[in-house]
Amino acid sequence: MRQVTALIGKEFLALKRTGKLWIFIILFFLFGIMNPAVAKLTPWMMEMMAESFSETGLVVESVEVSALTSWMQFYKNIPIALIVFLLLFSSILTEEYQKGTLIQMVTKGAKRWKMIGAKYMTMAVFWTFGYLVMFAVTYGYNEYFWDNSTVSHVVLSAMGCYITGMWLISLIIFWSAVFSTSSFVLLAAGGVFFLCYLAGMIPELHSYLPLYLMETSDLLIKGGKFSEYVPSLLLTAGWSVVNLAGSVFCFNRKRL
Amino acid sequence: MESIKEMLPFLIPLIIAEFLLLFITLRHILTHENYKHGNRMLWLIVTIVGMEFIGPVLYFLLGKEES
Amino acid sequence: MEVLTLSQVSKSFGTKKVVEDLNLNLEEHKIFGFVGQNGAGKTTTMKMILGLLRPDRGEIFVNGQKVCFGQTGTSQSIGYLPDVPEFYGFMTPREYLELCGKMAGMPVEKRRDKVEELLHLVGLFDSNKRIQGFSRGMKQRLGIAQALLGDPVLLLCDEPTSALDPLGRKEILDILSDVKKHTTVLFSTHILSDVERICDEIAFLHKGRIALQGTIEEVKGMGKNKGSEIEVEFYQEQEADEFSAYFSRGRKKQERVLHFENQEKQNMFKMMQYLTEHQVAVQRMEVSEPTLEDLFLEVIGK
Repeated sequence: MRQVTALIGKEFLALKRTGKLWIFIILFFLFGIMNPAVAKLTPWMMEMMAESFSETGLVVESVEVSALTSWMQFYKNIPIALIVFLLLFSSILTEEYQKGTLIQMVTKGAKRWKMIGAKYMTMAVFWTFGYLVMFAVTYGYNEYFWDNSTVSHVVLSAMGCYITGMWLISLIIFWSAVFSTSSFVLLAAGGVFFLCYLAGMIPELHSYLPLYLMETSDLLIKGGKFSEYVPSLLLTAGWSVVNLAGSVFCFNRKRL
Repeated sequence: MESIKEMLPFLIPLIIAEFLLLFITLRHILTHENYKHGNRMLWLIVTIVGMEFIGPVLYFLLGKEES
Repeated sequence: MEVLTLSQVSKSFGTKKVVEDLNLNLEEHKIFGFVGQNGAGKTTTMKMILGLLRPDRGEIFVNGQKVCFGQTGTSQSIGYLPDVPEFYGFMTPREYLELCGKMAGMPVEKRRDKVEELLHLVGLFDSNKRIQGFSRGMKQRLGIAQALLGDPVLLLCDEPTSALDPLGRKEILDILSDVKKHTTVLFSTHILSDVERICDEIAFLHKGRIALQGTIEEVKGMGKNKGSEIEVEFYQEQEADEFSAYFSRGRKKQERVLHFENQEKQNMFKMMQYLTEHQVAVQRMEVSEPTLEDLFLEVIGK
């Protein structure tokens, strides 16, 4: 356990000293604040457009914004935040392969599964933290301007994207144990995502795939039951565990 | 004017965050001599033009040299 | 006691045989020089000893324990210094050694003492700079500190001096001969003067095989029975010519320098006799033993 905490500590020290930590905190904050801001701006922008449209004869109805508008923005922006997060972390292992820094750790007695576990934990902890920041900022503003109680399942619907994020992190870790360059890692992880997207076109499969979890925001509008998402939740969790087990298996055989 | 006042709770933190991001990135660019790709001029332009967040992200993704 | 045993170890990458049928025994408290050209299989051998590569055939024992690929059983009794050691640039040397100590599972008290001791040993004690600003020599010294952290019985150094300036080289060599008291050192190099300076035993590695092995004296002795070389430098060219007319087997190296190969020591007296009889003063007369370099060149067939 001491090895794992030491390795995670090392990762966070790296994030802090290379300045990535602050960049991320600011980014998460921005991603949180953007949603209510856009929602707040919508009626004003509509008015502006209405003016210009009215000259051409189009009539734009005035829109009513609420906490829901802001939450919808939140779910529109989360994928972008997730992509940025994964891009900036895609070289978490490959960078060390290229520099050969892991060799010294291995020869000093670090267990390989602990090394890869620490990398996963770092990303997982940071994603959790970032997601909480984004969620809390949006939630806070929504509470201030509107009322979160007008929408149902606020927390549950946020779980979907969070878990999809965790699944993608495990994919990055898995492919990092297989490939040695970050572009291959990203291509492979992106490829799996795309295949899931294609498979989602088949109606019978749609509600079982990890990507279905990204639609939990529907709970906000349509209501519905969270239990609908349980099968895909289980599959995603299982898949993540398989990814991690596979990454330990591959990493044990990897030439560093 | 009403709308400006209403926007203040966003504007102030937004402006602070944007400028912090810009400041950290610019400081990083100016204190480093070598970049993974591109040169100092390119990254200064990218960061300032795309300052809302994409510029700094691009820099840290493609420009920042591994320590 | 034998610290390291390699028996019939072979390794190839694809069709290229890198190490072939390598046998090696290493005793305690010795510095063993592993000499070979680039690509002779030195690094590969070291990585196999560390368990970072899997040998195709043969077995490796460290301190009587068999080396298994991938896992860290034996590697904790080995310290390894890679040819170009890379560290986490964002850390200070103290932080880095602390991290290594944690990896090795050292208890807190012992770790702290050991880190300070090693920082003193390699002269990085007062460096609070981050590693990214270090020179190669400093990195190499930190590499040694890192390798010695767990009090290893065996220290593997992969070309520790190749990339350094003369001062950096001297520092590293001094540290290595200092370390000999506690541990056995296996170090690979292609710089022969380093070998002569600190090694007790050497092995010439050529095309994945050991071509010559023994203590420095033994190895040099292998060249001796070929006879020595004598070189005489005269003040005048004319004197040199007369001398070479008398001792016919000389070769004119420069205008005033004669070179004799394969000479017995006896010949030297004859030459001296000649010089006294003819009242010829010479600038220099010397017997040169075959150097390690000559032997090395012979071994690799150049």
